[in-house]
Amino acid sequence: MGDRFGIVFLMTVLIAVGAAAQPDSTVSPSVTILETQEAQSILGRDVRSLTDEDMGRIVDILVDGEGGVRAAIIDFGGFLGVGNRKIAVDWKALHFVPAAGKRYSVVLELTRDQVKAAPEYKEGKPTIVLGASGNLEPLP
Amino acid sequence: MTEPLPPSPPHPSQRSLARLDWFVFLVADVQTGFGPFVAVYLTTQHWTQIEIGLVLTVSGLVSLVGQMPGGALVDAARSERIVAGAAVSLIAASALIYATWPIFPAVLVAATMQAAASCVLGPAIAAISLGLVGYAMIGERFGRNARFAAVGTGLSAAVMGACGYFFTAQSVFFVTAALLIPALFVLRGIAPTEIDPERAHGNPSGQPAGKPRADLRSLLRQRPLQVFGCCILLFHFANAAMLPLMGSVLTTRSSQWATVLIGACIVGPQLVVALFSPWVGRQAQRWGRRPLLLVGFAALPVRGLLFATVTDPYLLVVVQLLDGLTAAVFSVMVPLTIADLTRGTGRFNLTQGVIGTMMGVGASLSPTFAGYMSDAFSSRVAFLGLASIAVLGLATVWLLMPETRPPARSPTLNRQAVMGPLR
Repeated sequence: MGDRFGIVFLMTVLIAVGAAAQPDSTVSPSVTILETQEAQSILGRDVRSLTDEDMGRIVDILVDGEGGVRAAIIDFGGFLGVGNRKIAVDWKALHFVPAAGKRYSVVLELTRDQVKAAPEYKEGKPTIVLGASGNLEPLP
Repeated sequence: MTEPLPPSPPHPSQRSLARLDWFVFLVADVQTGFGPFVAVYLTTQHWTQIEIGLVLTVSGLVSLVGQMPGGALVDAARSERIVAGAAVSLIAASALIYATWPIFPAVLVAATMQAAASCVLGPAIAAISLGLVGYAMIGERFGRNARFAAVGTGLSAAVMGACGYFFTAQSVFFVTAALLIPALFVLRGIAPTEIDPERAHGNPSGQPAGKPRADLRSLLRQRPLQVFGCCILLFHFANAAMLPLMGSVLTTRSSQWATVLIGACIVGPQLVVALFSPWVGRQAQRWGRRPLLLVGFAALPVRGLLFATVTDPYLLVVVQLLDGLTAAVFSVMVPLTIADLTRGTGRFNLTQGVIGTMMGVGASLSPTFAGYMSDAFSSRVAFLGLASIAVLGLATVWLLMPETRPPARSPTLNRQAVMGPLR
């Protein structure tokens, strides 16, 4: 009996502390409505080159401390899971073209020949980002 | 259901044998649908790399830990057909879950189900084979199994690759699930009365069902089995990372033809397996197991050395055909050697699970090792590293592995009574 009382008391205190730590929840957040053509999820989206080559898919996005998007990781090349590599490409080299259909088509300003030699992206190591001019720029 | 069978030589009908061919073929098709497409498909479903990695890790762990329980289950079963049918159904169900309900908990369950069912399905097919044809014909039978599995894998890799490319990765899972229907249909065609359950477990035929099986510990203390387990571990350690590493080398060198060349690297060796494995099975009965194991193993360091030195992308594809030679030998010799070593123990399938575990350990060490070597040094050094592990394995076979083919006995008495008639 005493134990149970103790637990109830402890929970009451915890809930009270939790409530005090919450920001003021009476102010309602602002709401923005985006049309489906305005903004879309791009994870897993196919990437094509300017000459409509298959450039793989976007599997991840790299963001810096200011919240700016620096690079997209594309899963490039290979067949049936053999020979594909994750490659970081400059965010500025990617273009999102509102297509006639529901989805953007994602176009990368690089060709397969330019991307093929790029080193693999590995988490926790300095990232080598492939820029639109074809040169490699290390990301600090 | 479990009435004692009279001791009888195997009497598989042509119909049952042909149905088993097709079952092996369809199971290989079903299994190809998983593997490469899971990651691609989940990516298109907006899954993050972390979630995908988690699912793949869980399914990898289940398929490692489940090997021995899976084998034990098949040894305990009285109807290998029902076990195999249930396993295929579970795999098809998980394909359907992938296709229709790609949320994390559902996919985690599906991945676990698929991995666990695969642990049962492999031994179950070997058990059906042994139960049908008996020891005298089993080498040739495993050769046929390897042929049909290779044709299934090669063909469905091509078809499903095209499906994934022209349609969606999701369509691959629907195709996989639909293959359940023909798979169950051909499985029904294998006559249950022709599969002797005792023979399927590695016991003499017609033995009463209650006979205690060999103790697992005494089985594992068998020196040839320990040596063979080490050989298999070293083989997969040296082999598993070779194709992926070569694939990534190939894609850095050739962009135009990389996809086609990698496709050839996957399908080409399967063709070699399909051509040679029945021959390997026959020669294993005639020459014994050791010479073939040595040849298959010797091709592996050669392939590693050639990958380290050859730079022409087209020649790399030719070198990769050596993988077919190795695979033709191992896909026959692994179940065959296990069958040799477990005669009369009733533990054929559990032992397959033991060796399967060694295989899984080797195969999971391989990419880590190769990845480290190619990051720290170069892909050439990684190939040489894998080749030296292969040499170690070859030496193990050469120096320690005994011949496991049972000595030819008095042909009239024993062949008839124990192994069934020679045809």
